[in-house]
Amino acid sequence: MAEEVHLGLPGPWAADYREKADHYTTKIGGVPDWPTGDMGIKPEMLQCSLCGTKLCLVAQVYAPVVKLNIEERIIYVLVCPTPECGPRPQSWKVLRVQKCRNVEQTEGDGDELGQGTGPSSTSVPEEQIDKNKSHDINDDDFDLDALAEALEQAATLASNSKKKNKSKCANAPIERPVLKEKPADLSIPVLPCFYIYYDKEQYRVKGAVGSSSNEFPLDKEMTDTGNYEEEKWDGEKYEYDKAIGADRTFLKFKKRLDAYPEQCFRYSYGGKPLLAATKVQDAGTCRFCGSPRQYELQLMSPLLYFLHEAGKGSSNYGPSNWTWLTLIVYTCSKSCCPSSCGGRPCGCCWDVAEEEITIQEDEAV
Amino acid sequence: MADRGGERGGERGGERGGFGRGFGRGGRGDRGGRRGGRRGGRQQEEEKWVPVTKLGRLVREGKIHKIEEIYLHSLPVKEHQIIELLVPGLKDEVMKITPVQKQTRAGQRTRFKAFVVVGDCDGHVGLGVKCAKEVATAIRGAIILAKLSVVPVRRGYWGNKIGQPHTVPCKVTGKCGSVTVRMVPAPRGSGIVAARVPKKVLQFAGIEDVFTSSRGSTKTLGNFVKATFDCLMKTYGFLTPEFWDETRYVKTPFQEFTDLLAKPTKGLVIEAPVETVEA
Repeated sequence: MAEEVHLGLPGPWAADYREKADHYTTKIGGVPDWPTGDMGIKPEMLQCSLCGTKLCLVAQVYAPVVKLNIEERIIYVLVCPTPECGPRPQSWKVLRVQKCRNVEQTEGDGDELGQGTGPSSTSVPEEQIDKNKSHDINDDDFDLDALAEALEQAATLASNSKKKNKSKCANAPIERPVLKEKPADLSIPVLPCFYIYYDKEQYRVKGAVGSSSNEFPLDKEMTDTGNYEEEKWDGEKYEYDKAIGADRTFLKFKKRLDAYPEQCFRYSYGGKPLLAATKVQDAGTCRFCGSPRQYELQLMSPLLYFLHEAGKGSSNYGPSNWTWLTLIVYTCSKSCCPSSCGGRPCGCCWDVAEEEITIQEDEAV
Repeated sequence: MADRGGERGGERGGERGGFGRGFGRGGRGDRGGRRGGRRGGRQQEEEKWVPVTKLGRLVREGKIHKIEEIYLHSLPVKEHQIIELLVPGLKDEVMKITPVQKQTRAGQRTRFKAFVVVGDCDGHVGLGVKCAKEVATAIRGAIILAKLSVVPVRRGYWGNKIGQPHTVPCKVTGKCGSVTVRMVPAPRGSGIVAARVPKKVLQFAGIEDVFTSSRGSTKTLGNFVKATFDCLMKTYGFLTPEFWDETRYVKTPFQEFTDLLAKPTKGLVIEAPVETVEA
């Protein structure tokens, strides 16, 4: 596994499910934070293709691609909130919003982590939680110590500012010039909201339990049964894992999940997805540029569990009827811009592209 | 177990600051001190089970009280924590760890194969086999696989129906590889008349008296144990006159606990919590 996988682990709940963050935040549920107030998204894109209800946000992931030098790129996973549509794959939609590649330098929030909270420093007074922003970058050749320091800085910053500004966050004006102030649209349904912080998956730890402890049980087991001369467990060969209810693929899936039982999503640009069932649908090609789609991230079952637990009291709640094991998101491998100003990358406008999502269901239900 | 499950579910939903430990987790993000502190943290995470499947969610909430409800509808159990919650008295024992070897260009590669039997000595037994490069990994994996394969065992009487069932209800036979194991009902007080290895499986199943007879290459004890387990699985597959009545169908847990058609369709109402909880 050459590609490393980043896991989205659950952070704090949002105080208000409709609170606004900025488009650099990675979160689950809540209101989608579009980068600009008026995105020019066609209304059909935000409607369920089956019943026409307005879609609600499941996950918003800030996903820059350093290799292609795209800093401003967010992936939104939307779903129809009505319980009948939820289990059907056509009611899920994935939008990739990005700014076209531009020649000019961006504000340096890609390279330097220490000041990675640059664009969000103005939003600290009104943000409850922003410590996850400084490590939202999945660059491989990255300085982990700087990342750790930046995490500590951001954590202290967030906890200090949160205590000070909790009382006045309600009436503090939004200072960012990009977002226009819009009254909260209460007709849009909203899922419970919590924020995400990242962690890198360390999977090889299984060998590090301590090799010296292995010898002890081995000797004990061997001597226990060594007393019985006539018993020889002959003819044993390697056997694949088998269980009555689960096949090998699912057992491997569950093993990775048990290592980090709270992972809400897995992110690996261009990597391999962790499948829960062997049957995989073909991702197809991007409808704008024709390049093949590749795996980028997948939502995992613990996310469904957290949403389910949060909405337990409410009636007619969408996630109660979801039964998927994992949702795999495929995006264009070139991360193309469908509409640029006259074909040239301009760096001023935001593009919205719809991507592919496949559901792996729990067949028992 | 039902109470525990329900109580845990209540705690999750009601307390908004339940993820407040996210702050604590974020602070642990420094990579330097990870090695040592990680194993302690990992054990805490293992205790909090986050269910993956729908059945797991129902069990965690406490909607399913007995494992018999799962067996009744033949639902596949994919998470071993389900069994741990529903069958509390489960004991496990490692029957054998044997090395298996594979010839490679660079010599021989040895892996360890662990056989583990779990059971509550009262009608539920499971058998797990796992190969791994290390003994501890193999044992751990085999325990999980054994829990996933827990099956009910039907017990009956040899003669008078006095007291609790103590033997198999009828003659059953199980097969694995070339080994066939036949179990015959025995009178009370006979004990388990079997070889040492299958006797262990039968003890974990909760059978007190039985006569067994085996055939085939029982030297291959792996197959012998699996044949015994197969035989136990078949006890509930045998149609006896008690089952001649028409089945009264019951709703599966998925149908019973779905809110889909029960409530009238309204707009989605999610309210933000009234008070905010400091993490």
